[in-house]
Amino acid sequence: MVSLPSGRDQWIRVRIMLLVIVMMAGAAAVAHGAWQLGVTRAQELTDLAAEQYTRKIKISAHRGMITDRHGEELAVEIEVKSVYADPRKVTNPQLVAATLSPLLGKDATKMESRLGSDRHFVWLKRRVSPQVAQAVEKLGFSGVSLLDESKRFYPNRSLGSHIIGFAGIDSNGLEGVELRFDGVLQGNAEAATGLSDARGRMVFSDGIFGSDGIVGRNVELTIDRTLQYIVEQELLNTIRVFEAKAGHIVMMDPSTGEILALANYPTYNPNRLNKSTAENRRNRAVLDVFEPGSTFKVFTLAAALNAGKLRPNQKTFCERGRMEIFDVVIHDDHRDGWLNPTECLKRSSNICFAKIAAGLSKKRLYHYIRRFGFGERTHVQLPFEMRGTLNHHKKWYDIDTATTSFGQGIGVTGIQMATALSAIANGGKLMKPLIVRRVIGQSGETERSFSPQVRRRVISRYTARMVADMMTAVTEEGGTGTQASLNGYLVAGKTGTAQKSEGSKGYAKDKWVASFFGFVPSDRPRLAISIVIDEPLINHYGGTVAAPVFKRIADQSLRYLGVSPRFSGKSGTSRKKKNVKKAKVERSKRQDSENGSRDEELGPASVFADMLELGPGQVRTPHLIGMSMSDAMEVLSSEGLRPMFMGTGIAAEQIPQPDEPVDTGEFVQVNFMPLPDHGTLSEEDADTGADSQGVP
Amino acid sequence: MNDAATTSEESGHMDRPLFVAVILLVAFGIVMVYSASAVMATHQMDNSTYFLGRQVVYAIIGIVIMMVVSRIDYHVFQNSAVVWAVLGISFAGLLLCHTPLGATINGASRWIRLGPVTVQPAEAVKVSLVIWLSYSLAKKSSQIKSFSIGFLPHLLVPGVLMFACMLQPDFGTTVVIALLTFSLLFIAGAKMGYIMLAGIVAAPIAYLLATGSEYRFRRLLTFLDPLATRYGDGYQLTQSLFGFGSGGLTGVGVGDGLQKFLFLPEAHNDFISSIIAEELGVIGIWATMLLCAVVVGRGVLIGFRSKDEFGSFIASGLSILLGVQVLANMGVAMGLLPTKGLNLPFVSFGGSALVFSLGAIGVLLSISRGGVVPQPKEMGERSWSSKGNVRKADKAGSEGVV
Repeated sequence: MVSLPSGRDQWIRVRIMLLVIVMMAGAAAVAHGAWQLGVTRAQELTDLAAEQYTRKIKISAHRGMITDRHGEELAVEIEVKSVYADPRKVTNPQLVAATLSPLLGKDATKMESRLGSDRHFVWLKRRVSPQVAQAVEKLGFSGVSLLDESKRFYPNRSLGSHIIGFAGIDSNGLEGVELRFDGVLQGNAEAATGLSDARGRMVFSDGIFGSDGIVGRNVELTIDRTLQYIVEQELLNTIRVFEAKAGHIVMMDPSTGEILALANYPTYNPNRLNKSTAENRRNRAVLDVFEPGSTFKVFTLAAALNAGKLRPNQKTFCERGRMEIFDVVIHDDHRDGWLNPTECLKRSSNICFAKIAAGLSKKRLYHYIRRFGFGERTHVQLPFEMRGTLNHHKKWYDIDTATTSFGQGIGVTGIQMATALSAIANGGKLMKPLIVRRVIGQSGETERSFSPQVRRRVISRYTARMVADMMTAVTEEGGTGTQASLNGYLVAGKTGTAQKSEGSKGYAKDKWVASFFGFVPSDRPRLAISIVIDEPLINHYGGTVAAPVFKRIADQSLRYLGVSPRFSGKSGTSRKKKNVKKAKVERSKRQDSENGSRDEELGPASVFADMLELGPGQVRTPHLIGMSMSDAMEVLSSEGLRPMFMGTGIAAEQIPQPDEPVDTGEFVQVNFMPLPDHGTLSEEDADTGADSQGVP
Repeated sequence: MNDAATTSEESGHMDRPLFVAVILLVAFGIVMVYSASAVMATHQMDNSTYFLGRQVVYAIIGIVIMMVVSRIDYHVFQNSAVVWAVLGISFAGLLLCHTPLGATINGASRWIRLGPVTVQPAEAVKVSLVIWLSYSLAKKSSQIKSFSIGFLPHLLVPGVLMFACMLQPDFGTTVVIALLTFSLLFIAGAKMGYIMLAGIVAAPIAYLLATGSEYRFRRLLTFLDPLATRYGDGYQLTQSLFGFGSGGLTGVGVGDGLQKFLFLPEAHNDFISSIIAEELGVIGIWATMLLCAVVVGRGVLIGFRSKDEFGSFIASGLSILLGVQVLANMGVAMGLLPTKGLNLPFVSFGGSALVFSLGAIGVLLSISRGGVVPQPKEMGERSWSSKGNVRKADKAGSEGVV
């Protein structure tokens, strides 16, 4: 077919070209077919394909553990067998169903219809006992096989069940941390829920998914199992003793916002879910909105003090226990006259707080309540958290300012109360409550950690300390919360006794919520605890029902945590408490550098000294620091006080602090330290001395 | 064509675009065979590179054969003895499949065991039939219009081969042989009437063969709606379609497909285009088609430029063979054609197919070099179609290699 082609050559070429054209048409059809499948029908086909990949088998990869803050296992996986069938490989569905149904305890007709279906995979029975698994294996029906599955197990049964939550039969988290951290616990969700090959086995390939992605991670909670146990036991005891309907307790580390324990009653065993009711599984501390009652006065007080609308020593007239405002009568239990803020709180006077709130203005009151985190979620890492009920102040009636000031007409959750309380305990910072500390990879490395997070500063450190001191008075003689006081530690707290609202019908006559919240030790808080007991029958006062729970929990917990008592002896002796408190104020003044100058001006020591009136037979403690031992001895004896000296050198620390009232004839402890080469002792040294050398 | 005329005095260079396109296809095939087979190889052989390693070896053997063949003057096949020997050996291979030497897999006796390897004679048959048809049609070109000389023998020999293929059974190869035969008869200028007549006679036979077994017929029709029997007869095709669907326009990336996880049977072989589609998308399929089009197009062009009818027939015949297989393979994988076992030339896993396809390319390259110079004195008014055949046979041996 070269140079001068004959006619025949030309025709051969033409015919080849004709065939080439036919092939080109074919190629066009194929190219179009690829477009049709890959673009036009892509979605339909991808969906169908995805169905077979995951195929709803959901054999999860090993789900991660949940542990407490010390690595104690709270939720683990155990291996079990499940029976499944590939119906297309079952030769005689009737026979198989008839044989297996009694063994597996399933209906024979239903099983037969399942075995006759046009599917790859049907479960016959999930999680059978080893004996049943063995029997099924022995029978050896074609198309019927066993599959290793893992099952969630909660070794501590009901302990912490409301926090941990539980996972369903397909290893999917349904409640609590199991739900909230489901993705992390499951690992790569898509892969872990059963990306299977054509034989129904899991597809594991490093090339497809990172080997890490497929394995569930462990989750470490902030919960301390021992504290959780203490709290749950005490809650249960109280519920039983006072025949209460329900209750919840939140224990928080106020400085970090970490939840150390969170207990609810009624409770349940997540290993026996079918025996529990939704009522039992309800995490009331996060879900239940209640009227806080008197405990809320703490926040009104903090607001008024912080806004400068109430001076620390400003007296308020209590109207002798009865006041009428806006056609509503407010009662107090006591017929008091003039009370300073500490006494207002100590005696829990509704009238005083109505007045304080009025002085503050409803706008400011609302503002502070919001700042304390009420009416919004705390963003604790638990599902379904409620935000409570707090109307905007523009919607308040005039009386609402008064009722809100003592905790009526507002709805809060246990977790909100504990968080707001922690803000007072830690010097005014609203923390984000934490329930999960770390996410830990299978090889033990920290993949993600949740560090303490300050959401905002609510009140100044100075105000916070003042409120803490006033709250400490509540657990002292004459306060409503004396039953919460404990030996060796100062307790700052507040009781609450609220009638339950029944919606439009007003308040129920005989349904109460008894509560107590507080932190301890009040000068250096380690624990903030909010206790709410719902509908106790035997007694309904917060001071009687809830305060003793606080005492018992705090007592055991502080001992467990190794927090050493500040002093021994009878609690409630104001002398000893005050001086420790003062030391704390000094320290906080130093630490809080941003507020330092202001604090210095006001001179907290003098403020407190002013507030502390001298009782009969009392004198003010003289200034001893910097004196020599003989000088100190001389000053003390002139005041009628007895010296208790320790160390040698120059007086570095004294208890009680200067200007504090002290009974004549009492001991004053003075620690002496050698004079440093370069001059006088720094405050730091003095402070260290105070910390390490408490009165024996 | 004038270029060809001026250089016809000496053997030219081989066709570079064809060579490059084929090498690219083979390399691409090795990558895709590995991607498609790694999971299955791990599962069955406990060695993820089992198929990869073999395909690399086959490719090396095939390329060596291609290079050697490309340097042999294709007129070596214009010798009656050679061409009949080639065809005879291939045919004997087909028959050997049914002897104890043969290997039967899944009820089909398509393979011969030769030591550690198995050979698929059908792959050889396709290539040797093209050569035999080209030889015979070129030889008888003057009597091409006659029924008994020009037409009937060229139906009988392929008919015997087709019958042997059907015995295996290998329906796909049978159909390819039929297509090749009719194509070459058409190109050579056989009477259209005869071709149509043969078609009319063949149609009912094909129909009877197709419907003769209910099983075969049912399978034949699954391609119309594979999803209806997606757990039964339509399973493989459904899986193949999933591959095309999941890949979308650009694919999920080489190695990242899921269909090869034992979902798609023959993923590395007859259905490799589904894996290409899944991992490289419609674009990947189109690119593969484009490379194949270059191969087929250059092949046809080589046929156009060939100095004699024989070369022209072989070149177009081999091009059509490759083109038809590409289209059939993809058409089957997309459900456009009934499901038949046909591999994708150069890309699918398979030693016989790769080696014989590369051998065929060697023949094409040889034709592109031009082979031995035809008689100078006949330049101009030469009618090589009538004379050339006889002469070339003598010289083939001595001057084949340049």
